[in-house]
Amino acid sequence: MDDLFAARATMGFSLGFHIIFAAIGMTMPFLMSAAHYLYLRNKEPAYLALTKMWMKGVAILFAVGAVSGTVLSFELGLLWPGFMQHAGAIIGMPFSWEGTAFFLEAIAIGLFLYGWNRMHPWAHWAAGLVVGVSGFMSGIFVVAANAWMNSPAGFDWVDGAARNVDPVAAMFNRAWLHQSLHMQVAALQAVGFAVGGIHAWLYLRGRAPDLHLKALKIAMVLGATAALAQPLVGHWAGERVAELQPAKLAAIEGHFETSRRAPLTLGGIPDAETGTMKWGVKIPGLLSLLAHRDINAEVIGLDQFPRSEWPPLVVTHVAFQVMVGIGSVLALLGACYFWFMRRPTFPRWFLWALVGAAPLGMIAIEAGWIVTEVGRQPWIIYGIMKTKDAVTPVPGMVYHFCLFLFLYLGLAAATVWLLKRQIQAVQKDFGG
Amino acid sequence: MIDILIFFIGASLLLYILMGGSDFGAGILELLPAGPLRERQKKVINRAMGPVWEANHMWMVLIVVILFTGFPTIFTTLMIALHLPMLALLVGIVIRGAAFTFRHYDAIQDRPSQRAYTWLFGLSSLWTAFWLGIIAASLNRGIIDLEAREIWRAYVAPWWGAYPLSVGAFVACIFAFLASIYLVGETNEPDLKRRFLRLGAVFNGLVVAMGGVVFAASMGERESLATAFLRSPFNLAVVALATALFVALWFLVTQRRVLLTRVVASGQIALILVGWCLLYAPDAVLTARGPLSFYQQAAPPATLRQLVLALLVGSVFIFPSLYYLLRVFKRSSP
Repeated sequence: MDDLFAARATMGFSLGFHIIFAAIGMTMPFLMSAAHYLYLRNKEPAYLALTKMWMKGVAILFAVGAVSGTVLSFELGLLWPGFMQHAGAIIGMPFSWEGTAFFLEAIAIGLFLYGWNRMHPWAHWAAGLVVGVSGFMSGIFVVAANAWMNSPAGFDWVDGAARNVDPVAAMFNRAWLHQSLHMQVAALQAVGFAVGGIHAWLYLRGRAPDLHLKALKIAMVLGATAALAQPLVGHWAGERVAELQPAKLAAIEGHFETSRRAPLTLGGIPDAETGTMKWGVKIPGLLSLLAHRDINAEVIGLDQFPRSEWPPLVVTHVAFQVMVGIGSVLALLGACYFWFMRRPTFPRWFLWALVGAAPLGMIAIEAGWIVTEVGRQPWIIYGIMKTKDAVTPVPGMVYHFCLFLFLYLGLAAATVWLLKRQIQAVQKDFGG
Repeated sequence: MIDILIFFIGASLLLYILMGGSDFGAGILELLPAGPLRERQKKVINRAMGPVWEANHMWMVLIVVILFTGFPTIFTTLMIALHLPMLALLVGIVIRGAAFTFRHYDAIQDRPSQRAYTWLFGLSSLWTAFWLGIIAASLNRGIIDLEAREIWRAYVAPWWGAYPLSVGAFVACIFAFLASIYLVGETNEPDLKRRFLRLGAVFNGLVVAMGGVVFAASMGERESLATAFLRSPFNLAVVALATALFVALWFLVTQRRVLLTRVVASGQIALILVGWCLLYAPDAVLTARGPLSFYQQAAPPATLRQLVLALLVGSVFIFPSLYYLLRVFKRSSP
């Protein structure tokens, strides 16, 4: 493993780890606040139990998210000093707003976690909501910074240095809105389905069914709504990528030759050597239609780019297929949920389907994140700076990678173990 | 603009040491034998730290963000030359935060796992405090050299030596001292109060002793601390005042003035920090090839304006909510 690859692997792994906890940290508080609201309105003890159960989950996951987020702010410099040297001043603005939002979130979570019986009930409720809102804002800011790497703006690149820096233009670059929206909807969707799936399973096991049904409904209303919105948001994001990063789109689709009436390939493996898609089902004209709203439109292929500027094709294509496949399944399940919601009970097969779908949203987030990051390679700032020119001169990065690999695997194992104990304890309390 | 940013960095550093530092100190205290008081001490620390530690930790994140946005060259220089201590620091931060939270929120509070969390929490607190001190000491030794190609000279020498190691121990003592003094006011149980007072006295002595060791160790540096402090009578006065305040501190302790004791202890640490910062101002880092000054290494004015705006707007939200947080939880310690 060379230093560049080790650095990329470390960043990929750290972000891939953090993204799960960040997604949970910015959406779970909304579920918690919803349950808390229902309790304060109706005084039904089940909702209080639910609020407290979710709160404990939030406390554990938020702490892991906060420390792994701190690691990332250091990693930017530890791994990519060549990047931060130039980019720090340009995209620092979303990071400074993110820092502010994160700070508020940290204060609010302290108030919420420990404020029972110490604050006015509605002020306490509001603190929980602030955790969600500020977490959601910091998510938007961070993704805006990532969007800048895909669609750099707000500076002139003269002789290997940035001139005329305009941090406002950099923050509101042409990719910030679709990327943020896509990510935030994905977080709602993934967390809604994960929580819904866990409670569906607990409901099926027959312990405290009433509690778990209530939990499932709160989580799924959010998850199903997001799942139905996501195909539209995702489609829009795809159109923007076609416009802003044609090489990424070509890699996503394994589209080698620039052509009109370009086909969309379902499945399949792109072969860079022969320049063809192996296997897979081609639907003529669909790529042109999706990317440019015209079945005869020209779609730029990989042939327009030198081979050295191709992103890794197989990873990008497969990750994209996984993401879209999962998105479709979740949208279907979301529609089913709204259909069955009107009935007195859910059919058992549907609840089992929800159990099976519990991890899918998170897998889709990871896949989508791989698409956007790997699909941008070999660039760290698209069209401006290559990843290999940004990497740290520090040798032996493979040890750095192994260190964080073990640290995070240990942390992940401990977190899962804790959450299991959490659920065990709740089951006991409810006489299961 | 730059002055405002320097102020924010300094203020964040001070608040991080006073508030975040005492959280690390609490972890260090839990490593010490406590006999039958152990469980109750844990309870007091959980109650005192639980609501605030995430907010206290944010001061460090704020410093990192201000550095990489406003002074990217200073940030990247440190991240390259001090790669290893930064890595050690991060490992400590991750384990400390996780172990503390896990200990409190583990649904099944059985002895073996609680013990493991406590040990991890304590060791990682000590570890993190130690590396923070090493990093602070490495900033101005004039050894950091980005041109160096040899691994030792480039990545180890900048932070290796008796001086940084002694500063690491000094910082750990300061944190434990702050924690002891703060914790006295967090409990009404007389035996625990006595314990924290005794620990406060022990760490007070250790702070003074380690301060002497730091001065002695700095004789091997390019410029010893003694000569640096002698350069300006003002700096000397600051250090003298910090030491003199110990008398006032113990007078207040005997009078049982909880709030004033905290203020005086914080004031001492603030004076030490100010004295140390003034030695090098306005240089943030002294490399082998000259100083990196905040004034010369700042980002373009447009960036600085936006950063200051974000910090000021942020302060409008953060300070009132922080005040509210402290008021809710520190109003009446049960």
